[in-house]
Parts: sequence; C-alpha cells; structure tokens
Amino acid sequence: MDSSAIRSSLPYFVGLAVAALLYFLVRQIEYAERPGMLGPDFWPTAAILLMATVCVFEILRAFAGMRSQAQGIAEVLETDDSAPPALTYPRTLVGGIVLVVVYAVVVDVIGFLLSTFLFLVAFMYLGRYRNHAVIWIFSTGAILLSALIFMRFAYVSLPRGWPPFDAVTDFVRIMLGG
Amino acid sequence: MADILLHLANGFVDCLTPLNLAMLFIGIVLGLLIGVLPGLTLVMGVALALPFTYRLGVTPSIVLLTAIYVSGTYGGAFTAILFRIPGEPIDVPMLWDGYTMARKGKPAKALGWTLVAALGGGLLAAVIMVVLTHPLARFALRFSSPEYFAVLLFGLTSVVALGRGSLGNALISLAAGMLIATVGTDETYGAYRFTFGSRVLADGIEFLVVMVGVYGIGEVLARLEKGFTGRPIERVANARTELPTLREISAIKSMFLRSSLLGTVIGLIPGAGATIASFVSYGLEAQFGKRKKEMGTGVAEGIVAPQAAATASVGGALVPLLALGIPGSGATAVILGAFMLHGIQPGPQVLATSSAIVYAVFASLFLGLALMCLLGYFAIQPLVKILDFPEAAVSAYVMMLCFVGALSIRNNIVDLWLMIGFGVIGYLFEKFKFPVAPLVLGVILGPLAEGAFMNSMISFGNDWTIFFTRPIAGTIMVFTFAMLMLPFVQQWRARRVAAA
Repeated sequence: MDSSAIRSSLPYFVGLAVAALLYFLVRQIEYAERPGMLGPDFWPTAAILLMATVCVFEILRAFAGMRSQAQGIAEVLETDDSAPPALTYPRTLVGGIVLVVVYAVVVDVIGFLLSTFLFLVAFMYLGRYRNHAVIWIFSTGAILLSALIFMRFAYVSLPRGWPPFDAVTDFVRIMLGG
Repeated sequence: MADILLHLANGFVDCLTPLNLAMLFIGIVLGLLIGVLPGLTLVMGVALALPFTYRLGVTPSIVLLTAIYVSGTYGGAFTAILFRIPGEPIDVPMLWDGYTMARKGKPAKALGWTLVAALGGGLLAAVIMVVLTHPLARFALRFSSPEYFAVLLFGLTSVVALGRGSLGNALISLAAGMLIATVGTDETYGAYRFTFGSRVLADGIEFLVVMVGVYGIGEVLARLEKGFTGRPIERVANARTELPTLREISAIKSMFLRSSLLGTVIGLIPGAGATIASFVSYGLEAQFGKRKKEMGTGVAEGIVAPQAAATASVGGALVPLLALGIPGSGATAVILGAFMLHGIQPGPQVLATSSAIVYAVFASLFLGLALMCLLGYFAIQPLVKILDFPEAAVSAYVMMLCFVGALSIRNNIVDLWLMIGFGVIGYLFEKFKFPVAPLVLGVILGPLAEGAFMNSMISFGNDWTIFFTRPIAGTIMVFTFAMLMLPFVQQWRARRVAAA
C-alpha cells in the first residue's frame, strides 16, 4: 500500500472517525417528535454527512493517486515563491501547548495577574528570546497595564486566586487606586 | 438621496463624540500596527479587540473594529515596500512593484502612491457603500425564509470556493463550524445537542471563543513552531512619504477608478475579501493594463492597483453585512459578532430600527480613511519602528489578550479551556492546510442558516423545491452552484494550460 497515500489521507480518516462519533451522539438527542416537522437532529446530521462525504471522497482520491485538488481561488492567487522553507521547532510547540494548559489549570488558583505574569515570562523564554531585562520589564509592565485597563477601567471580572495568592491581586489593585 | 445625505450628516455628528473619535483613533493605530507586524493578521486583530467592546456601546464598538479593519489593509504596505516583509497576504503584490520601486531609490514615492491608492480606493468604496446599502436592504425586505436561506448558503459556499486551501478541506472546515454552532439547546424543541451534561455547554459555545481561539492562539502556536524567526530586516535610515503630483495621479486616473471599482465589487461578494481584491486587481493590470509589460519593474500601476482594490474591498464587504446580515470575510464576521453581542442583528431591518448606528459607521469609515492617511504620512517612522519589538514578546501579549477575551465572556474557566482547544484545532487546521475562515463563518452563519431552513420547512410543508422554484431564491441557488463550480473550472483551465 502506498505510504504517501496513507499519510495524506490520515486527516480525512480522523475526520471520518469524528463524523462517526458525532453521528452516534446525534442519534442520542432526546426530543418529543412533532408530526410533519424536522427534528433538532436534522441540521447536525446534514453537517455530519457533508463532512463524512468529503472525507470519503478525499480518501478515495488519495488512494486513487489523484494528486491535484480543486483549490480555493485565494490559494491559487497567493502562492509566494519568494518565501524560503522555514525551520520548525516541534518541541517548542509542544512546550507552548503545555504552557497554555498549565496556565488554564492554575489561573483560578493563583489568580489572573500572577499566572499571566509567569506565563508571559515563560512564553518569551520558550520563544527563544533571551534579553532578560526586556522579558521581566515587559512582563511586569504588561501585567500592570492589563490590571489598569481590565480591573480599573473596563471592570472585567478576572480570577483573583485563592488565599494566599489573592493577596497579590488585592495588592496590585490597591496600588492602582482600586 | 437627500434622505441618505441627511442620515450621513447625522452619522458624522454621532461620530464626532469624544468616545467615538477616541475609538476611531485607537482602531486606526491598532490596524496600522497589526498591518505592520507580520505575526499579527487583520482578522486576528479585529477578533482580539472584540472582547474589549463588551463595556462599550454598539456604535463605538463597531467604529473601533471597522477602523482596525480598514487600516489593517494599509499598514502592511509599509513593511512590504521598505523591508520586503508583507504584513498580510494582501501585501504580497506590493513586493513586486512597491519593493522594486523602493530598491530603485524611490521608497518615499512608493509609499506616497500607496497612501493615495488607499485613500482614493477607500473613499470611492465608502461612497458606493452609502449609496448601495439602503436600496439593497430595501430589496432584501422582500425576502422570506427561503430567500434568506439561499443567501446564507451562497455566503457559506462562496467562502469555501474563494478561500485558501483545497475545496474538500474548506468544506470539512465549514461542516465543523456548523457542528460547533449546534452545541447547546435547540431553539425549536429545547433539546440538548452535544452538551455532555454540561450546563455551560447547554448555553452553547460562544463564537468569540472559537474566533479568538483559532485566529489568536492557533496562529501564535503556528509561529511558535517556526521559532519566531522572521526575515532579517534591512535598515532604512529615513522612512518618509512623498506624495505623487496631481499630474502623475491624473495620468493613471482611469486605472485608479477601475481598481477601486473592482475592489468594491469583489468586497461585495461573500468570501472574496481584500486579499483576492488585491491579487485580482494586480493580475488584471498585468494582463490588460496600459503598461502591462512594465509591471513588476517598479511602476506606480503595480502599487495603486492592489492597494486601491484592497482598501476599497472594505467598503464593499460592509454592504452585504449591513444590508443582508451576511459577513463576507473573517473580519466582517467579527464585526457581525460585535453587532450581535449588543443585541442587534444586521440585515434589512437594521436600517429601519438602528439607522443612526449604521450611518455613524459609514461616517466613521470616511473619517477613518482620512485619519489613517494622516497617520500613515506623519507617523511612518514610529510605525515601522515597531518591527524592532521582539516577536516572542508580541506573541506573548497576544496570548494574554486571548486569555482575557475568554475569561471575560461568561466569567467561566470552561470558556478558557474551550478557547485553548479551538486554538489547538486552529493550529492543526493551519498545519494540515484546512482553512479556518469557513469554520468561523460556519459557527456564525450556521445557526442563521439552520433557522432560515427550519422556518422554510415549517412554512412550506417540508417542500425542498421551494428553494429552487421561488424566483429570487432560485436565482441565488444558481449563483451558489456556480460559485461551488468555480474551483473546478479553475483546475480544469490550469490543466489545459499545463497540457498546452
């Protein structure tokens, strides 16, 4: 079996699996049927069928060895040959995703200000930026500015954090005259 | 006409309040900065600004977002011309003549042509927008649910056909968006769909979470994978703008008009935004223009054609948004979202019920264009200086804005998790060349299309043929089919050219 066909059709197998799962879930929707009316499962079913049909078509196309695809007009227009192929850093990407997930876990506990400050510092180091002074000053400035905008003027309700971390939020708020 | 002018005059008065003017100024500056910075895209910028409009009234919110949208089509030209860095895909054609003109020792002149093109194209489109929106909305008042469904379907398919990526991938992306929009409580039956017993999900997934996730987090992750390595920047000692003379402008006036009109018309078509306008306009000039053989050698036509069309497309794109409630691009989808956040559904009724807001938006476009060009003329040095800012820091800040956006929607941590999930999905879509615009449009237009479809089925006894037998709906359906066929025609023509 052609390995390139398997590789190129992999996203569509995933799409097909997602469609199958969603179809199973759509069948579980509970509602009282009304005669002569389409149910609440009709629209999602139509979207699932669209997704599944296209996935099947793309899989067949990949295995039939048809390489050229109909492209959106912008795709045809936008080809910029001048851009050199870029190096990739998959570990950095994984690090970034982990950092974001950790942020979501701790933001409620240690509060928005502290968690975001730590996130900014860690993210810049992760992004291979090494000017330490800029990193720490920028992060501090960004947090103070955000606190000023969101807590003082826009009144956006952001997580304060649990004790003892909420003291940090309260301190910054008092410092900014809140 | 007198009526329209009177409304527009009132719109200018509304627009001149301190808050609206402040939003206009902030929006223009942000749009220019977003255009200049290669890591930030126009749609991402508009989407990131959306959460901050919660506390604002509807008019300042729309003024802010529209200002970002319009100036975002202009700012990227600076870096394309001076440093060969297109801030946006829109600016790629600017490399061919704009950068070449700069290399020939005339960067100031190239920037001057860009300014004149953005101003001229934008103003012409704004005039057309003002003139066209009212009649189109009046015409749309005759629409019933089948016509609305047909129009929405046309909007969705044209986004698929005219966007990036393969047609199949775009359709999958669209279906995914439509499915995301079905999460929550069904309006007709009150049935729970894909809620998994979660009370937050029973209220549905906010489109803002999806937009900020895929455009903000998704794009930052994609750039993080590339290690935030932009192209090295050449230093330009004295960036300034030199305006072309009236005689020079007069020499290309018909071409100027043609490009601006083309941009406006392309903007009117859902799915065909500033990027397509910019490329098509350049392409037409290169094929049929007076100086077609000189295109690419640093001529004014190669700068004016894409820039005038790109900025003109903004005015064009606002027409279907305001008159029909159909966003034609990612940026207008966000602006539609801002309207909806404030309880206003753009469409034919909006001119009757909230005409003051609509005309204030129109007026803000005129004022915004003037302000944009003033800033572009006088503040070019500090604007391009922003490129010295480390990309890692800019991206970190973008991430922070995304977090604030998610946390401010419902004050619920679930929205943050959802946004991170959509961010990863956005990254994967980018990685595997699935366009995200259809996904976002599917999320926004999906519920509207479902509502129009269900109403049609209820009103016409589940008769499917109604979409084809009613004259307006049938005509739009024909256009929808033609739009869907467009990529196949393009592919067939490419094959023929390759075979020849």
